[in-house]
Amino acid sequence: MTTIEVLVALTGLYLAVGAVFSIPFALVGAGRIDPDARAATWGFRLLLLPGAALLWPILARRWATGAQPAEERTPHKCAARDRTGAEA
Amino acid sequence: MGHTYQAVQWNPQKKRYDQLVVGGVLLYLAVFMAVSAAVFPEATLETLLIRGLGTAALVLLHIILSIGPLARRDPRWLPLLYNRRHLGVTMATVAFLHGAFSTLQFHAFGDVNPIVSLFTSNTRVDSIAQFPFQPLGACALVIVVLMAATSHDFWLRNLSAPVWKALHMLVYVAYALILLHVALGSLQTESGTVTPAALGLGAVWLGALHLRAARAEGARDREEEVREAAAAEGWMDACGVDEIPEGRAKVVVAAGDRVAIFRSEGHLSALSSVCQHQNGPLGEGRVVDGLVVCPWHGFQYRPRCGTSPEPFDERVPTFRVRVEDGRVLLDPRPLPLGTETDPVPVSSAGSSPA
Repeated sequence: MTTIEVLVALTGLYLAVGAVFSIPFALVGAGRIDPDARAATWGFRLLLLPGAALLWPILARRWATGAQPAEERTPHKCAARDRTGAEA
Repeated sequence: MGHTYQAVQWNPQKKRYDQLVVGGVLLYLAVFMAVSAAVFPEATLETLLIRGLGTAALVLLHIILSIGPLARRDPRWLPLLYNRRHLGVTMATVAFLHGAFSTLQFHAFGDVNPIVSLFTSNTRVDSIAQFPFQPLGACALVIVVLMAATSHDFWLRNLSAPVWKALHMLVYVAYALILLHVALGSLQTESGTVTPAALGLGAVWLGALHLRAARAEGARDREEEVREAAAAEGWMDACGVDEIPEGRAKVVVAAGDRVAIFRSEGHLSALSSVCQHQNGPLGEGRVVDGLVVCPWHGFQYRPRCGTSPEPFDERVPTFRVRVEDGRVLLDPRPLPLGTETDPVPVSSAGSSPA
């Protein structure tokens, strides 16, 4: 096998695993890592499939560790939080 | 957060926009194929379709990359900016069809795996005239498909804004790959100068737009930094009262980010201009029924405390404002989340902290 053939085969394997992973992720996993996805529509779940198939290692890790989305950090929120701490 | 994901957050305007985009792409394909068939009568229907889809994707990409800098210079472009993701997904779909049909047409009928064939059928990397241009297009396609697949809010929230933004900045890498793909491909299929000239014009247009927008933005930010530095620990002179139209906001920079000073029913309130949902530009929104509405997805905030009405629980920091001699003064230190401020009447004379 040439290098390209090996790379194409590995990419195919990666995507095949991703395709299998994406179904339970769209049905269950998405809601586990993001509460807003728990009661989401079927259309939304369908839209998740391609991204989940492509990025499955990241999602599998988050699902396995029960990670939740972090609150967005903006300069204003950080400054407001620092101020709260300073005034406490 | 207090909302549930939907596939697409459509409203009547977005539906009309999407109908226009799909109609425009179909019309472009029809016109392109009809004109090409007349100019190149020897070209097959498959070839015309492949070229039509490829050029449609390229035109869409130029529009997508133009919207940001145009909107920064002129707010009339903002509605296009707010719907840019739909345009991106359309472009990725058209590009995917171009790639799929091309692979079918040129690589699917041999003994070799079509994808392997795409990367190995031409190995003349030492020749510009015969350079293997198809792998360049394939790599660009991977990027735009990845961007389209991760365009939903779910990905922005779960990949985090910095990662999502970095991923989507790859569009410039995709653009460079596509330029090479088309330029090198045209060397092998045509002898005219129309394609190179059009590509060059497109690249110059985008380069000039981005440069002008960056210069204008840099100058504005420097001006704001000077004003912020002058304010130091005290109040900063934000703007004149008359500069804020009723129901809208004036955006200034304070504490390292943009602050929106809204005027509603003759009173002023200041909020962080960064919507908690997707960092949308709150300052470009308006006040409707007493609530500040983000122009991107309609998230609402109470001007006096920066919190969303129940059952939602989004919160953005608020700032103190006061009016003196027709000038709006802003305390650049953000207040703790949820802090109530009293809206300041625009007619207030003398010092009146909020």
